[in-house]
Amino acid sequence: MKVWRDVGLTYIHYSNIAARVVREALRVELRADAAKRNISHVKFTPWVNGRPVPRKKKEPTSES
Amino acid sequence: MMMQRTQLLLPLAMEATMLAQQQRGMATLKMISIRLKSVKNIQKITQSMKMVSAAKYARAERDLKAARPYGIGAQQFFEKTEIQADEKAEPKKLLIAVTSDRGLCGAVHTGVARLIRGELAQDEANTKVFCVGDKSRAILSRLYGKNILMVANEVGRLPPTFLDASKIANEVLQTGYDYTEGKIVYNRFKSVVSYQCSTLPIFSGSTVEKSEKLAVYDSLDSDVVKSYLEFSLASLIFYTMKEGACSEQSSRMTAMDNASKNAGEMIDKLTLTFNRTRQAVITRELIEIISGAAALT
Repeated sequence: MKVWRDVGLTYIHYSNIAARVVREALRVELRADAAKRNISHVKFTPWVNGRPVPRKKKEPTSES
Repeated sequence: MMMQRTQLLLPLAMEATMLAQQQRGMATLKMISIRLKSVKNIQKITQSMKMVSAAKYARAERDLKAARPYGIGAQQFFEKTEIQADEKAEPKKLLIAVTSDRGLCGAVHTGVARLIRGELAQDEANTKVFCVGDKSRAILSRLYGKNILMVANEVGRLPPTFLDASKIANEVLQTGYDYTEGKIVYNRFKSVVSYQCSTLPIFSGSTVEKSEKLAVYDSLDSDVVKSYLEFSLASLIFYTMKEGACSEQSSRMTAMDNASKNAGEMIDKLTLTFNRTRQAVITRELIEIISGAAALT
């Protein structure tokens, strides 16, 4: 039914991609402000048995 | 016996040297002025930190007003459907601790950690913690390190964005830990001087579908529910992060204000001692000169 679900995206991915497209489609004077909402620096470390386990694959930083 | 005597003697010896320094006068005068200078520097730092956090707080509060509808809207669904966790099944709980990386802000992070510690003390085996922010990890890792599922850091330097929240929500969904019920633990901002540590319930898709009152919503299939739950988790996390950031800044403001006040008190006391010591030194020197002169004549 939904193509993006079959590809393995969640609704969060889907809506974020939609949001990014909308932000990029804004007028130039509004776009600069909106672009600030498009960045994220959060990093994740999984923990197993009370110890941090480094993740193998590198996460892209600017978008999910 | 010998050990005991030396232990007794040590503080005595220290006292004696202190006394000697005090009698010399000049040394303590210098020491006091060094101390005074450092306390004044500390006060300057705390004052500017207060200014910075006041500016950040103003922005956080403005952001929070805009973010509130996200939280309220997402909560409505859980209230209307009156979801209850399945009591028969093995409960698997997930706690999301919403804190940040940065300290010097009073008891914001400790409050969240304390609430989680309470939950963990009740049911340690079936509860996992997802730490957002290094502070909650630092507090919880010592006692409950085994219960930590994942840590998200680099939170709190900049105001949280929805993208941050959605990445966290994604990680929560992808950890492979099938929680049946969960709680987001965060600080709810009340006013500039007060915040309250609160929780928001979250549920997994299977728990939601078992709910009897789900029929109040029309034409739902499992796909819609799944999509909605994903999005509502992201918006709830976004909302709680905004609340947390706002409480943190307001709390840091108060903490830094108090620190500046305390430094001010300390400066007053030190200035007094400094002046008194200086006066004592002058008086003693005068006495020495006068008595020396008197002895000559």
